[in-house]
Order: sequence, then C-alpha cells, then structure tokens
Amino acid sequence: METSLRFRDIRSTNSRQAMPAARIRLAAGRAGSSWELDLKNKTEFRLKKARGHFSTWCMTGLIVMVSQFAWAVGTPVGTVIENTATVDFVLSGTPTTQVSNTTSITVVERIDVVATLQSPQVLVAPNDIDRALLFTVTNTGNGTETFQLAIDSAIAGDDFDPIPSATAIYFDTDGSGDFSAGDVAYVPGTNDPVLAADASVDVLLLNDIPGAVVNGNIGRSQLTATSATGSGVPGTEFTGQGDGGVDAIVGLSGGQDADTGEYLVSDISVNIIKTLVVADPFGGTQPIPGATITYTITVEVTGTGTATASVINDPIPTFSTYAPGSITLNAASLSDAIDADAGEFDTSGAPTVVVRLGDLTQADGIQTIEFQVTID
Amino acid sequence: MSDFKQGNAMKKMVSAIATMALLSLAAHAQEQGREEGYLNVQTVVHKEEVFVNDAGETETRLVGAETVVPGARVVYTITFRNVGADPADSVVITNPIDDSLTYVDGSAFGPGMDIQFSVDGGVVFAPADDLTVTQDGVERPAVAADFTHVRWVMQGELAVGAQGMARFAAVLD
Repeated sequence: METSLRFRDIRSTNSRQAMPAARIRLAAGRAGSSWELDLKNKTEFRLKKARGHFSTWCMTGLIVMVSQFAWAVGTPVGTVIENTATVDFVLSGTPTTQVSNTTSITVVERIDVVATLQSPQVLVAPNDIDRALLFTVTNTGNGTETFQLAIDSAIAGDDFDPIPSATAIYFDTDGSGDFSAGDVAYVPGTNDPVLAADASVDVLLLNDIPGAVVNGNIGRSQLTATSATGSGVPGTEFTGQGDGGVDAIVGLSGGQDADTGEYLVSDISVNIIKTLVVADPFGGTQPIPGATITYTITVEVTGTGTATASVINDPIPTFSTYAPGSITLNAASLSDAIDADAGEFDTSGAPTVVVRLGDLTQADGIQTIEFQVTID
Repeated sequence: MSDFKQGNAMKKMVSAIATMALLSLAAHAQEQGREEGYLNVQTVVHKEEVFVNDAGETETRLVGAETVVPGARVVYTITFRNVGADPADSVVITNPIDDSLTYVDGSAFGPGMDIQFSVDGGVVFAPADDLTVTQDGVERPAVAADFTHVRWVMQGELAVGAQGMARFAAVLD
C-alpha cells in the first residue's frame, strides 16, 4: 500500500537519488519547505523535516520563469544591418526609380544579466545545515559572457544572518532544484559559468541556520552575478572585449544583478499515521480473498505555519478492489465522483483514493480519512 | 545645363537645323541627368546616446552609428534633392525596416509628405490605422512591430533645386 501526501507548491519529483516508491511531500509556511518519505510497506510513521538533503520543488514554476526570460533574443553580435532607401518619382511623365547609398551598422555586444530567486520561502529549524536556496542566472545580453558569482548572507533588515556553508555556492548540476550529491561546487575563477546569449544556469546558495533563532525569524541570503568582462554604469564600453573582438557595452543591468532568498524558522511538522483493520467473511481478521480492509489515515499538523494545498493520494493495492462509496473525511462521507467535494475515487490512472485537505495548521487538529477495499 | 542653354541659343540663330540640334542636345542632357540622378538621395543612420550636459542634466543626442547594441534606438534620415532640370512628380520614398529592427511607433516624419506602412514585405502600403494583420486566424489592427516598410508620399511636386527629408526611428531587437 502506497500513500502519498502532496502539497501543491511542490510540483517536481525528479531527484538524483532513487525515486521512492511513494513520497510524501509537504509545503508549509507561507510558501514552502518540503519533506519526503517512502511509505511503501509502512503502516505507521512520523513525518519529520528533512535536514541536510532536500526534495525538489517547483519544476513547473521554474519552466514558467525560464520562458519568461527567454524574451527578445537580442540580435546576435556581429549582425550587419544595411539600409537603402528607394525613391520613385515621375519625371515628365516617365516613372523613374533611384536608390540611395547604403548605410551599414554592426551589432556589438551588450552585457546584461538577470539573477532570479526560484525557491519559495524555505522553512528551517535552528542548527539546520546546508539549507539551499535556488536561483537562476540568465545571460540577457546578446553575446557569450562569463559570470562571477558571490553570496552575501549579511543582509540588513532581517532577523538573523544565515551562515554561508564552507562551500556556499553550487551549480544545480542535476537539475533537481535542490542540493544533492551530483551538484558541482562553484569555484571562483575556475568554473565561472559561461553562458551564451539567453542561456541560463541554476545556482544554489547553501547556508547553515544559527542555533539562537526562534519561530517566525526570517534570515536572508543574496546571490550576485557579475559579468567577467566588466560591469558598471550602463553604457560603459569595453573596447574590443566583446565576442569576436567587437566592443562590449554594459546594458541596463549594469552587467550585474542580485536576488535575495529567505529562510523562515518554523517548527511545523506533519504526522501521518496509516492503520488498517482486516475483517474476513468468517468473522475473523485473516487477509484472505473476500476479506474487507478498512484503511484509516490520520494527518496532524503541529508547530507554526501552514501546510498549503495538501492532498492525500492513496493508490489501491493490486489484488484488491475499492469498496464503492467508502471514503470518509472526519466521518463525513465523500462521493466517489470527481466533483466539488474534497475527495474522489480516481480511476483515470491507477485506481487511487484522493482527498484534498487544503491548507492545514495546528488549529485544524487531526484529519481522519477512511476507506475500504476488498481482497480479490 | 549649359548644353541646354547653348541649344536654345542655337535654336534662335539657326532655325533650319535647330530642331535636330535641340533634340540631340536634350537627349544628351537627359542622359547626363540619369547618370547623375535627377534626385540626389542620401541615407544616414544615427543612434541615440544619453549624455550628461554641462548643467548636469541628462540629455539625448544623435551620434553616428557604426556599431549598436540590442535595445539601442537608431534613427534613419533620408535626404533628397532635385538636381535635375525638371520638377519631379509623385515622389515616393520607400525604406525597408530590417528584421532586426522594430519601428518606433509614431517616429516617421517627413515635411509635406503622407506616411504609409506595409506589413507584407512592401506589397501593400496604407496609413498605419488602415492596416491589419491576421494572427492565428484572427484579424487585428497592425502595430509598430508588424511594419516591414515605411513609405513617404510627397503631396506636391519636388521643384528643381528643392530638397526634402524623411526620417524614422527603430529599436534594435
């Protein structure tokens, strides 16, 4: 029996690690941190905040962001634009055409860069280590540029300063959106990202969380990307330093951009307990063909924060059949149809019981879901 | 020109052969005119440059454009002058808008000329408001980014020795 609890803020499941048979994903707080757990063959467990490694998030959101930045592919460096005007006129009744001289301009390199935070607010606990913030650095100029990356976690105006990890900047090499084993450390001057026009690279900032923080504290960390050719006031010219030896000119970004991510100290946790009761046709509790299994899943949020848009997905095991009309949420019956109520028996793919719990806080108390199957 | 005047003089002096002489000289003048151009047409391109003036204010000026960067605004100026011996009628100046350039709405300018645009590569020309574009099967009013050509249509004739100018701006994509 596999159960997954997912939260809408988390949309991607790709990860370098072997994919668990089932996952629990949780986004909590204003935007979300995440947890995951393999539920296969487990009937009881406690979901705790993962530390040191993190699930992935927002691949869908990321694609949207990337396409947003795929705007206006700048005219490539070296493009020559010629212009000739044509004049038609009539002279003594004779139509005549004449052309002007031809002007020519050459497109040189414009240096521009955008750094964009991709992570939602990351929920952390005191003394967490290597908590990641995901950014995308996009070359919005029209030539190939090398960019230098820097981290600053001493941002004014927050409640605490996250502590940059010993190696604080990584490339999200495996595209997981999170810090994982395959990610390559950034070494300034050694593997500065080289980006073609409109190309981008995903970058992770890693920070440890101090011990002396309390629920609700916010700490910020900033990524800065700077063109290696040069930065400065827009219009600053770097003669002969553009692609192919053309001039490079600093664009409106100043050849540098920064964005800031946020950690929120929160002790939210979610407890999910799944139990089963077997009733065989002979009044016993043997899991034999014809026996009915009643599954009970309880979900409880504790701590500070909100588990947003939470959904329970529970595929019906093989060799068993869902008992129609058996889903209840907090003892209230939910129809099998996919309709306005909070749950359904979804047969569009593998037969699955789906119950939407919405935004949950500690105040909501324990949510109890029940349904039945019969053993084939 | 002097040949032409001489031709007139000859006409007065020797009427018998004047007709032939005039014809041949006039033909010669026309040939020369074609070689030199009855209209002298010149195009120059500038780019806008922002600078800080002596008073510390930010101003924009046009400077020669040999090189440009994406996002730069360039200004094309076409000047023309009737250097021929006869007025030119129905003067129409046509300038393509390069694929890498986007016309700046409202920038086309030309004293005494009507301004038209094309959205189909220079086949049909009409005032901006009269043009439409069919996109995904839906017809919509044309916008500056749709324009492929700009055209100036002179309202009157261009007298001998007279000159005019036409101008438009575009942004490098």
